[in-house]
Amino acid sequence: MSARVVVVGSGMAATRLVEELLARDTGARITVLGDEPHAPYNRILLSALLEGTHRADALTLRGLEWYADRGVDLRTGARVLEVDRDAREVGLVDGTRLGYDRLVLATGSIPTLPPVRGLVGMDGRLDERVHAFRSLDDALRLSRAAASARRAVVVGGGLLGLQVARALGVRGLDVEVVEGGDHLLRSQVGAPAGAILARDLRRLGTAVYTGTRAVRLTPAGLVLDHGYTLGTDLVVLTAGGRPSVALARSAGLAVRRGVVVDARLRTSDPRVHAIGDCAQRGDRTTGFVAPAWEQAGVLAEVLAHELAGAGGAAGGADPRPGRTLPAYEGSRTVARLRATDLDVAVLGEPETAEGEVVELTNPVAGSHRRLVVRDGVLVAATLVGDLSRIGLLTQYYDRGTVLSPGEPGALLRGERPGAGATPSAASLPDDAEVCACAGVSAGRVRACGSLEQVRDTTRATAGCGGCAPAVRQLLATRPSTTLEGTRA
Amino acid sequence: MSTPPAGPATGTRTHCPYCSLQCGMTLERSGRTLQVQPWADFPVNEGALCRKGWTATGLRGHRERLTSPLVRDGATGELRTASWDEALDLVATRMRALQAESGPDAVAVFGGGGLTNEKAYQLGKLARVALGTSQIDYNGRWCMSSAASAANQSLGLDRGLPFPLADLERTDLVVLVGSNLAETMPPAARHLDRLRERGGRVVVLDPRRTATAERADLVLQPLPGTDLAVALGLLHLLDGAGAVDEEYVATRTTGFEDVRRSVAGWWPERVERVSGVAAEDLRELAGLLADAERAVVLTARGAEQHAQGTDTVLAWINVALALGLPGRDASGWGCLTGQGNGQGGREHGQKADQLPGYRMIDDPAARAHVAGVWGVAPETLPGPGRSAYELLEVLGTEGGPRALLVTGSNPVVSAPNADHVTERLDALDLLVVVDLVLSETAARADVVLPVAQWAEETGTMTNLEGRVVLRQRAVAPPAGVRDELELLADLAARLGSPVPFGTDAAEVFAELGRASAGGRADYSGITHERVRAEQGVFWPCPAVPEGRAPHPGTPRLFAERFATPDGRARCRVVEHRGPVEQPDAAFPLHLTTGRVLAQYQSGAQTRRIRDLPDTGPFVELHPLLAARIGAADGEPVVVTTRRGSLRAPARVVDSIRPDTVFVPFHWVGANRLTHDALDPSSRMPEFKACAAAVGLAASPDPTPDVSSTQAPVRERAAAGVPA
Repeated sequence: MSARVVVVGSGMAATRLVEELLARDTGARITVLGDEPHAPYNRILLSALLEGTHRADALTLRGLEWYADRGVDLRTGARVLEVDRDAREVGLVDGTRLGYDRLVLATGSIPTLPPVRGLVGMDGRLDERVHAFRSLDDALRLSRAAASARRAVVVGGGLLGLQVARALGVRGLDVEVVEGGDHLLRSQVGAPAGAILARDLRRLGTAVYTGTRAVRLTPAGLVLDHGYTLGTDLVVLTAGGRPSVALARSAGLAVRRGVVVDARLRTSDPRVHAIGDCAQRGDRTTGFVAPAWEQAGVLAEVLAHELAGAGGAAGGADPRPGRTLPAYEGSRTVARLRATDLDVAVLGEPETAEGEVVELTNPVAGSHRRLVVRDGVLVAATLVGDLSRIGLLTQYYDRGTVLSPGEPGALLRGERPGAGATPSAASLPDDAEVCACAGVSAGRVRACGSLEQVRDTTRATAGCGGCAPAVRQLLATRPSTTLEGTRA
Repeated sequence: MSTPPAGPATGTRTHCPYCSLQCGMTLERSGRTLQVQPWADFPVNEGALCRKGWTATGLRGHRERLTSPLVRDGATGELRTASWDEALDLVATRMRALQAESGPDAVAVFGGGGLTNEKAYQLGKLARVALGTSQIDYNGRWCMSSAASAANQSLGLDRGLPFPLADLERTDLVVLVGSNLAETMPPAARHLDRLRERGGRVVVLDPRRTATAERADLVLQPLPGTDLAVALGLLHLLDGAGAVDEEYVATRTTGFEDVRRSVAGWWPERVERVSGVAAEDLRELAGLLADAERAVVLTARGAEQHAQGTDTVLAWINVALALGLPGRDASGWGCLTGQGNGQGGREHGQKADQLPGYRMIDDPAARAHVAGVWGVAPETLPGPGRSAYELLEVLGTEGGPRALLVTGSNPVVSAPNADHVTERLDALDLLVVVDLVLSETAARADVVLPVAQWAEETGTMTNLEGRVVLRQRAVAPPAGVRDELELLADLAARLGSPVPFGTDAAEVFAELGRASAGGRADYSGITHERVRAEQGVFWPCPAVPEGRAPHPGTPRLFAERFATPDGRARCRVVEHRGPVEQPDAAFPLHLTTGRVLAQYQSGAQTRRIRDLPDTGPFVELHPLLAARIGAADGEPVVVTTRRGSLRAPARVVDSIRPDTVFVPFHWVGANRLTHDALDPSSRMPEFKACAAAVGLAASPDPTPDVSSTQAPVRERAAAGVPA
């Protein structure tokens, strides 16, 4: 009988795991239990959806038919209530019980409510102005509300908060951001970068309040700890999220901040694994897609290995020829702010990474860039307000390229210093090549009297045609012709 | 010879011997010299040529032209002149003996994308009928086979461009993926310039900011081997923005919904991390595509010469289909073919799995039809053989071919992992090379057969537009040299071919037409006369019953339907995997290869033309990288990969990605470095991306060891070719 793999969650990590398992042809019977009513979708795009630049339909990662066609039992709206590890079963809210041989927790993270009084009314319901921003339904509800709203306050100045603030700003709302820390994006970047971001946001029409907390929601608006009240139609809570561990904890699995896993993404029960935002490897949990996908790849390989019959022994040789069992030892992360007109990239942990720092702040242009280099390798970076060479810096970071001592500094200078200053053809020396197609020098063009003569005797301009402007310029600036012209 | 066409009284209209643009030109004789003059009204190039074209007559009377067959002397191991009878008898006898010992597949044939349609057709017939071997393929496999494979899968038809090149002037946006046409086919750039004068835009994707990129409105510089990810990201943005032509994908394609889902996971920042293209630039390109009413996506070798080349092209075709471009006026997807007859060369039977007319050799109906034209029984035709690299890789091994006939190709320079291929060539019992000059491959041969070239022969070529054009003989070949059609006919006869082989190009073309009739590339309605009169004829052009007006040819494809059984294009889900060999600590850079303006392919012709600068290879690298290794412009550096190394001067330019180095492939050396991983569908090797290290050359060496045109002659075993 083929092994039963049950995946709790249908987010980015779970979807990737299913794809990776199918690609390995493990023969396992896979069941995916998602508590949202939708087919798996790309959570990364929710702010683009809110902004109005990405259609809701285009978020779907895999349609329901896709799962059905591949024999995967995808259940949407399926909420798991408990895990019975002795019976190796999960119990759903609707009373269904499903047995498993391997269980994968991919439950993600959940937003936490900040300690603000008045968020929840007397009737126990969330104030209708209040929005979370985690799920597709959250985004759709906020998007609908934004259509008739004029003002919005975003609580939290992290990556998510800034994306939501900009999305609502692009939608035409008056937006204010409240951040309890002393600068924006404080988990990722330092104060100078945060200050530049705040200035950029203000320039874009968004008010920013840092070092202050929202304490109470009243009919008049959101009251800050210094007493100021922000009148608003919408309050979006983006501050705080934590790994969703309730299921793991009640099942008696080892849980710290997240569900504790080893290098094979195994929890304290060898038949139960965890990946994505809910998992904790070493002292780290992550909130990004790339690590979740790396984990999904590793886990798929581990499961393929174990289900192929090698049992649960860790680190053993893979029974399939030519394959070794991978291990997950952590990821390099690149955090990119997806917000129109705000340029931010954070590679690794630039505030805490050890190494030498090369930093360039240009308050006039509104940019701050910081490269952290250890033994010649770029180990972290902050790029705010200037993303030039982003496609090179991330490559160096990801691949651990060893740079020369002068290189980090050079990388922060302009990309093409000479660009834009095309010298006039008139000043070219006689031996400079003007026409690459025919191999014609400026001198040979100067020796001709007309465009026709140039074409017929040198073949310049008779190839790709790109040199025609230069040839005209050379002919026009020939001393003899202009003199003849004036003498005539 | 038929009478020359109308035109200059002294001139012969023909086409440039080199690339797939097949520029029209006039050859004029004055006394003993032959001069290239413009052919102003040929629409593809309108009289324009690059320096390769202007100097194309430079091989005429060249001291390195071979004018006698050469045979390797068993006693000395050297090549010596021989009579045609001696050389051809030797070839036929040895081939037959090897086949008697080891079976028909003991003899293999390796052709080229520069051969005329007639020669390519006869070569295929020689293999299947005279030799009875399945082992035939050609260097076009290394040219645009990935585009061919993708086009067949999605559009049902493989023709480079779906419309005349000049249509580019009427579109709104041209996206060039991995093409440097301003240097590889300069006159084509004139059409782009006219487009821009009208307000149209040009976008170039290339790891290098090339001469083509210099005339573009937007340049994206992806890492080698990541064009596929860029296409996925584009489609992601287009779908998200609602720019997909929903009616078109619903009525003219199948499979789009799966493709749509598959790109939902390719958001721009992910593409940025994979490809090195800034998310902002990707968004700008998506915006241009979404806004353009008409647009053309063109792929070329930069996108195609990868182990994922077919998937890369499929991804770009998906972008075009999503926007509803193919079949619309001055819109669509196309491939910029590389070799002079890259298009026709693959349609008429040089490919391991195909018979003339783009028929598949494992299709019983195709076999019956072609066997009927050839006058042989269908069951005598061999089945499919090995693809180019797979064929070369097994030469001289247990079960592999023991003899090889090479024509129109120089694999010692042009094959990937070239040192390995050279070893395989040296392991053969018999290597026969047909060429004009002693190429690096010919220098290792047992028998070299000199043939007429270009201006000395007549035959058709099919250019990148699918336009069949006529190369016309302007002068007689040098004494001692034979026309290749005659050579093939003579060899076939000596091999005991059951049917005769024609030697007149027009007659052979008519036979090719009959063999192609009803196939995907139907030439049966085309004649040399029509080509002459109509400035070329676009296939498909079927013959019509007598009395009816002739078929006009097909300049534009897909307006009503695609060439699939149900008439719909297939959208195929493809995923990005990236180059097989990724940079690591030992080989931290990306290496890519390509061409320079003044040279063509392996350089066997162009390196010998005095008026073309023969710079030798160079290593293009960014100032940041040059500073890292301490190299100055012009200083010798060494590029090393897991397969070989190349020493050449550094060329320091800020137009290349700092994590990538570039080497031109016209000289021995570049392909010692390249990777031999193959595309699973097209069998295209991964020429365009591998991991490399670069460093200063240890000691100054005034004579770079790689620019020599003369490869060392291998040592012959005592039991070599009998003298």
